[in-house]
Amino acid sequence: MFCSEKKLLEVERKVKANDREYNEKFQYADNRIHTSKYNILTFLPINLFEQFQRVANAYFLFLLILQLIPEISSLTWFTTIVPLVLVITMTAVKDATDDCFRHKSDNQVNNRQSEVLIDGKLQNEKWMNVKVGDIIKLENNQFVAADLLLLSSSEPHGLCYIETAELDGETNLKVRHALAVTSELGADISRLAKFDGIVVCEAPNNKLDKFTGVLSWKDSKYPLNNEKIILRGCVLRNTSWCFGMVIFAGPDTKLMQNSGKTKFKRTSIDRLMNTLVLWIFGFLVCLGIILAIGNSIWEKQVGDQFRSFLFWKEGEKNSVFSGFLTFWSYIIILNTVVPISLYVSVEVIRLGHSYFINWDRKMYYSGKATPAEARTTTLNEELGQIEYVFSDKTGTLTQNIMTFKKCSINGRIYGEVQDDLGRKTDITKKKEPVDFSVNSQAERTFQFFDHNLMEAIKLGDPKVHEFLRLLALCHTVMSEENSAGQLIYQVQSPDEGALVTAARNFGFTFKSRTPETITIEELGTLVTYQLLAFLDFNNIRKRMSVIVRNPKGQIKLYSKGADTILFEKLHPSNEDLLTLTSDHLSEFAGEGLRTLAIAYRDLDDKYFKEWHKMLEDANTATDERDERIAGLYEEIERDLMLLGATAVEDKLQEGVIETVTSLSLANIKIWVLTGDKQETAINIGYACNMLTDDMNDVFIIAGNTAAEVREELRKAKENLFGQNRSFSNGHVVFEKKQQLELASVVEETITGDYALVINGHSLAHALESDVKNDLLELACMCKTVVCCRVTPLQKAQVVELVKKYRNAVTLAIGDGANDVSMIKSAHIGVGISGQEGLQAVLASDYSFAQFRYLQRLLLVHGRWSYFRMCKFLCYFFYKNFAFTLVHFWFGFFCGFSAQDVNDQNSMDYPQLYQPGQQNLLFNKRKFLICMAHGIYTSLALFFIPYGAFYNAAGEDGQHLADYQSFAVTMATSLVIVVSVQIALDTSYWTVVNHVFIWGSIATYFSILFTMHSNGIFAIFPNQFPFVGNARHSLTQKCIWLVILLTTVASVMPVVAFRFLKVDLFPTLSDQLRQRQKAQKKARPLHSRRPQTRRSSSRRSGYAFAHQEGYGELITSGKNMRAKNLPPTSGLEKTLYNSTSWIENLCKKTTDTVSSFSQDKTVKL
Amino acid sequence: MPQMKRTPQDCPSRLPENTAVKQQQLPACRLQLSATGILSGFFATGVFCLGMGVILILSAKSSMEIEINYTKICASCAKLRENARNFDKECTCSIPFHLTQTMRGNVYMYYKLYGFYQNLHGYLLSRSNSQLLGTDVKDVETCAPFSKSHDGTPIAPCGAIANSLFNDTIILSYKLNSSVHIQVPMLRSGITWWTDKYIKFRNPSSSNLSSAFAGTTKPPSWPKPVYELDENDPGNNGFLNDDFIVWMRTAAFPTFKKLYRRLSRTQHFIEGLPAGNYSFNVSYNFPVTRFQGEKSVVLSTLTWSGGHSLFLGLAYTVTGAMTWLAAFSMMAVHLKLKGKRFSPDDKVKL
Repeated sequence: MFCSEKKLLEVERKVKANDREYNEKFQYADNRIHTSKYNILTFLPINLFEQFQRVANAYFLFLLILQLIPEISSLTWFTTIVPLVLVITMTAVKDATDDCFRHKSDNQVNNRQSEVLIDGKLQNEKWMNVKVGDIIKLENNQFVAADLLLLSSSEPHGLCYIETAELDGETNLKVRHALAVTSELGADISRLAKFDGIVVCEAPNNKLDKFTGVLSWKDSKYPLNNEKIILRGCVLRNTSWCFGMVIFAGPDTKLMQNSGKTKFKRTSIDRLMNTLVLWIFGFLVCLGIILAIGNSIWEKQVGDQFRSFLFWKEGEKNSVFSGFLTFWSYIIILNTVVPISLYVSVEVIRLGHSYFINWDRKMYYSGKATPAEARTTTLNEELGQIEYVFSDKTGTLTQNIMTFKKCSINGRIYGEVQDDLGRKTDITKKKEPVDFSVNSQAERTFQFFDHNLMEAIKLGDPKVHEFLRLLALCHTVMSEENSAGQLIYQVQSPDEGALVTAARNFGFTFKSRTPETITIEELGTLVTYQLLAFLDFNNIRKRMSVIVRNPKGQIKLYSKGADTILFEKLHPSNEDLLTLTSDHLSEFAGEGLRTLAIAYRDLDDKYFKEWHKMLEDANTATDERDERIAGLYEEIERDLMLLGATAVEDKLQEGVIETVTSLSLANIKIWVLTGDKQETAINIGYACNMLTDDMNDVFIIAGNTAAEVREELRKAKENLFGQNRSFSNGHVVFEKKQQLELASVVEETITGDYALVINGHSLAHALESDVKNDLLELACMCKTVVCCRVTPLQKAQVVELVKKYRNAVTLAIGDGANDVSMIKSAHIGVGISGQEGLQAVLASDYSFAQFRYLQRLLLVHGRWSYFRMCKFLCYFFYKNFAFTLVHFWFGFFCGFSAQDVNDQNSMDYPQLYQPGQQNLLFNKRKFLICMAHGIYTSLALFFIPYGAFYNAAGEDGQHLADYQSFAVTMATSLVIVVSVQIALDTSYWTVVNHVFIWGSIATYFSILFTMHSNGIFAIFPNQFPFVGNARHSLTQKCIWLVILLTTVASVMPVVAFRFLKVDLFPTLSDQLRQRQKAQKKARPLHSRRPQTRRSSSRRSGYAFAHQEGYGELITSGKNMRAKNLPPTSGLEKTLYNSTSWIENLCKKTTDTVSSFSQDKTVKL
Repeated sequence: MPQMKRTPQDCPSRLPENTAVKQQQLPACRLQLSATGILSGFFATGVFCLGMGVILILSAKSSMEIEINYTKICASCAKLRENARNFDKECTCSIPFHLTQTMRGNVYMYYKLYGFYQNLHGYLLSRSNSQLLGTDVKDVETCAPFSKSHDGTPIAPCGAIANSLFNDTIILSYKLNSSVHIQVPMLRSGITWWTDKYIKFRNPSSSNLSSAFAGTTKPPSWPKPVYELDENDPGNNGFLNDDFIVWMRTAAFPTFKKLYRRLSRTQHFIEGLPAGNYSFNVSYNFPVTRFQGEKSVVLSTLTWSGGHSLFLGLAYTVTGAMTWLAAFSMMAVHLKLKGKRFSPDDKVKL
């Protein structure tokens, strides 16, 4: 309560460094986190309260209370309390262990150590004791304890590198830099201890990429933005230490604000069951009222006189009161329609299915020795109803490994493996990879299967050499030598890493760099190039270039970038090569590879000097600096000579394509939600066949304001409807259309395939209430939806959106901490296990090691679970209606006195539930049919014995129609009827089915005879008064005739009905199944490589996964260690002073954001 | 980023076992019937039911049953019994009737009550099985409201069922000729279930019955205590009285008949009951008009399937007819649609 009040109040946060007293005034949350639900004291009340919120539990509690009243109790109270207590205890124990686990992990996190500056000294403190305003020291590879304002770091200019995988799933490094004033503090403890700046900033929120605040220190104010903040959950990398001031702690941190709440997940069957229980309860009340009214009337007309004869005291009760009591008694008797065993059985079935999932060898990943695991046992049948799958990209669809796959150099493709006949083949194990062992610098994990390239290098093909040289020179990679003398590359974009590593393996090893030079080893000889200019990458340019002077004095411009851009800059003489390379690029892109075009230009010394002069001028210019620089870049990057193209594979996980294909065949829509960039996401979409060139259109929504987004959505919709003439007014028609389509089972889809790509910024606007529906409508009409640059919370919001407005069952699959909220909010969360991080798995309901197992989980286990569960429920309700309504009919013949016909036999029943737990297949929600069926059966079960017994006598002339014989006859008929019924319902007869069905009949008779035996009567005469009954009744021919007739009468109509149904109205699912069967046959089993060629406008898959601005970092030398910095030479000195480039960097970063809107027109 | 790779270990314990059950690969067969199979099944069932129905009807017809309702015939006695205070006044009533046809074979005599709710919840439970078993005569816990008399003495036999014991005596006499009336010899034996007579009901063990029931009192509606139920046959007293045992086996429906006596096939009655004039001499004790009930005496012979009841036969016939009807219509529908959708040997999944 207090906490939430405070949150409402907090609009602005004021934190003073090193001043706990000051900060305590505001009562900010400390760094302790709670994810647990209960503690020892609150466990019992809260847990019980939660449990009795389940309709069923409350219902049984109510029944129990009724049964405790002796006046109305028609069954003994322990028949309800024992299972109820059992169910509640089991759930409570499970909840308690779960919570224990959460307590443990909370404790573990809360007790992590971090160094905190207290009283002028660095002290080790537990995380939970860290307070807002504290200054803490972080070391390399440490987790950040809270949201910090970066003060200073070991790196020059207060830079530090962080990995934000936990937050957004991106594994590349990000740079944060401290304010110049604070970075001067360095590691000087005494100065840090005196630091008393006050930070005024926004209240805690969940926006990961935004922060606004002001630092007031020493009478001046410094604006703060996200670039100065290190968030909890990040890991410090490549920075030996840094100091930060805690701004948000514990639950206020952006990480915690982003973690969705753990919700109690229920399946739709559960919800349906709850509704049904309410219906049934209503139905029971109706029956009870009918019977109570009947009782009142009977009491008035007959019972009054009759009672005087039967009972000691006359006129003790009046008829209305008697009716009232009867009502409650019947509620108790008829409660067997929804006995508690229903819930127990359902749980048992689910548990069984969970074990089947755990036991499945086909979902065992031997690579990591991880079997699939059903972490929740209550959601299995939901797996059979999934309509939407939300998938993370990195680590889920892809392995997050970039490999240099192919290249096209001077019109020739390298990297394709040809068999002896010269045909292209897929890479197989048989082929020997190129042996790089001669090269001491080679990266051992790198594999290349085409020996031609190596030969070309050996032959000294100049183009090939130039190509590899370019790869070794034109990049932003930093190198380091580890203790073993091995080169380690620090890459901030895995693509670049792949290219540089490839060059390294082929003998062009990038060794080291200074702001002015790049040293590479060319086939064994060290060559140092002078770095004259660095034409950095940005989102508009989509390319990067370096201008270097080689030892011979030649000046060269090396450029790599998106082909669409680069091809425009080529020298006209390249036309032939361009066509060839363009074809190659299409081929690469068609295989889902990320491509880059590579080109160079020889520069004239004089021309370059002139240009450089102009660049210097532009750099010092105050106005329109960026425009001028951009113009100069354009100027020099022309007349390029094409070298070729590279193709890097973002390695998909095994079987992703097949899985995606088969899931979409199963009419499951897959949405990719990724923190990655648009280009990367789209590329992966193509790679795993979710986006294809066959698609009619791919809508890209990248607006930056709400209005833009709305407009884009509207246009996309218009476009969509425009292309399908039949859709005059959108949604409604579409829905109708969809139904029509389903009903008529039209093979080809007239709607065509569409895809939607939307980025995080637009999504933020689109998720606002008024555009939400447009987005959803559009998205749901598209075959594929890709959301890129989304935050963890947005992932969850998207899931919630679909869940809420589509009423569809959703599944989220992911591997990292950034997927946790999505996993939690989807109906079913799946975690990829076997990875480093465990958060996703811990939050998930199911976990397995590979994305491809999703197919089996949904299409095999999910389907079975769902069908079995439906069939079980149908059967259960049918059986119970049949069983219970017999009491209702009997009510009319026993003065509505709440006499129960076959109470003793209800104990025999559990055996009959069990067949339902075995191999049953296929059904739908046919509750009402089941109910009607049950009612019909109960009529047959009651009235046939009634008619037969009405005026009958036994073979020995004895009275036959006594109450006990009637009960036995009916119970026996019931057992036989329901057994025949389940035999009819059983799709597959396995040993288990035989055992259970025959076993349950056998068990029934053995229990019947035991309970009716002399021995048990002698011991408990009052509890088992049925002595001799079974023996006597079941030796009568007449009774067997009754049983036989009852069985025939109840089963025949069902058989006839089903026969006619199959003949007359084959169900949609029948047809669909047939169609699917046909499709399955038609679909080749082996993996289908996407053969479609993409038009060149779409193929640039180059993912600039790195931030813009690194070029400046490199040329300024800001990110080089002091030891790497060369003595200041008079050569091309950096042109910017330190503050200006940082400002520049910040500005560029914001530009990146806006550039999304600018290139929205570019169709990728 | 360098990927930390966990070395793939061979961890056999984590690999799920490859058993048929765990992999859900149990050998299974499918219950699939062809359309012809189902149709022939229907026809066969229809034939069976019709045949059974005809046999049952015929056999029921062959048995004879006479029912004489004496509620109104003995109206004066009924009137007398309406007042509970007249319980010690005797009232007899004679009901003459004519048997037009000889009842051959075993003849059973029943009394039949209309509108007597032996199946009422409170009534049904108001008995003490342990008392009736003779182990503890004073165990009357479950007998409310007839567990103890006003002065607190436990009632034996306790409970509403015992209290409402049918206590009419019915004697059948045969008019051999206009002046000679002979009492038709009747057997009381064999009217109870063996288990009831020998297991469920036992007298408390003691030298004589009256001392065995010492400390208990008679049910309020009874004129005599339980150990004096049958003055003629001392073995037929206490809880082992046959009529008492029959009464204690409660009926399922408000209209019921209970076996009263069997014909002893001796002298004139070796063949059964010959045609002629008879009369029932009823000592009228059991009040039925108070609850608007009725009572009658039934004489009946039996067949192999039990009593004279047409219901089962009719039900079988109707079911058989319906099955045939269903089979024909199914066949018609199937044949009509077969060409359209199904190949001849298409399986129908039930």
